[in-house]
Amino acid sequence: MMMTPRNSDALIADLVGDLEPVRPLRFGAGMAGTLAAAGVSAALVIGLFGLRPDWLAGTVNPMHLVATGLFGGLGLAASVTVIVMSRPQVGSDHSGWRWAAGMAAMLPVAALIVAMGRGRDVLAGATMRHGAECFAAGSIASLLVFAVLTAWLRRGAPTAPARAGLVAGVAAGAFGAFAFSLHCPDNDIVHLGIWHSMAVLAMAGLGRLLVPRLIRW
Amino acid sequence: MRADEATLARLMALSQAGDKQAYAALLESCQRWLRGYYSRRIAPSSLDDLVQETLIALHNKRASWDPTRPFLPWLAAIARYRWVDHLRRLYRAETRELNEELHGTDDEPAIAARISIDRLLGLLPPAQERAIALVKIEGLSIAEASEMTGQSESLVKVNIHRGLKKLALLIEKE
Repeated sequence: MMMTPRNSDALIADLVGDLEPVRPLRFGAGMAGTLAAAGVSAALVIGLFGLRPDWLAGTVNPMHLVATGLFGGLGLAASVTVIVMSRPQVGSDHSGWRWAAGMAAMLPVAALIVAMGRGRDVLAGATMRHGAECFAAGSIASLLVFAVLTAWLRRGAPTAPARAGLVAGVAAGAFGAFAFSLHCPDNDIVHLGIWHSMAVLAMAGLGRLLVPRLIRW
Repeated sequence: MRADEATLARLMALSQAGDKQAYAALLESCQRWLRGYYSRRIAPSSLDDLVQETLIALHNKRASWDPTRPFLPWLAAIARYRWVDHLRRLYRAETRELNEELHGTDDEPAIAARISIDRLLGLLPPAQERAIALVKIEGLSIAEASEMTGQSESLVKVNIHRGLKKLALLIEKE
């Protein structure tokens, strides 16, 4: 980072002397990098833990499809917003991801409603342990996308770094939940809505806290 | 050289490719454009610093401009970010510098209204906009602003705090 010289002519001379060619941040390149990271994460989950047994048997579960689709959609919408935020422009709209988040939020809402009807069963040790494993695995599966989006934001110029970090965390968490959903055989709405969604919330919090510290103007 | 969108975009594209002559012309034009952009929206004593900070931000973040998009809305977003950051730093430092001459000049270049600082300030509730304009831009003390607006001193402070926080989230808003 250059220091501010006494007058603008001297500053301009310094900046011109410091000029190196740069590669502009293209929207397509940002999305391609993010989707490649999401694809690698999903492939790693499948390679390490295996694909869902019902998919291998050629059947599908509707609840699982809806939940996985919502996480994938949220990851995509939030990633688009992050890439847009890295390239500032008066007139840009950063709100698109909220619609996808609103739809995906139906999962934990439905899960909580169903869980209340079940009472203490949802707190059973094995259920909690299985949920915590999925939460941890989903969060770990989101780290590659998180790193790619954070690197993109560092190269870019987000004018709202805290919000950009939050949305990057949402995108990464959603893609992590999407990736681990390809392995997790559980189709229960309480499990999907609470434990898989928790990875999105945790990564959003991490992004909100960490990313602004890593962005330098 | 008059700073127009097409010329600036062409110079910036050349600058991204490493053309130093184009970059020098671009920075000169941007410096003039920024002086007009910030005119009457910052204390004259801070204008040079703010313009220089913005030029440095332009330099550090030049890769974030996409040559397929317009240049001035990109520069305006960076300029607004630096301006809000400048006001927030003043707020944190509790600087109370008075400025006697804040009339600006009439030769401000034509700036598209949608990317102006006035447009950004206009997004705030009137009480917050007034408090920021009086204290952070015109350099009045909290007590003077309180007297002028009829707001209590603590309300002036709250309006400045909330207004600056809101501005930071509205930088790219038209």
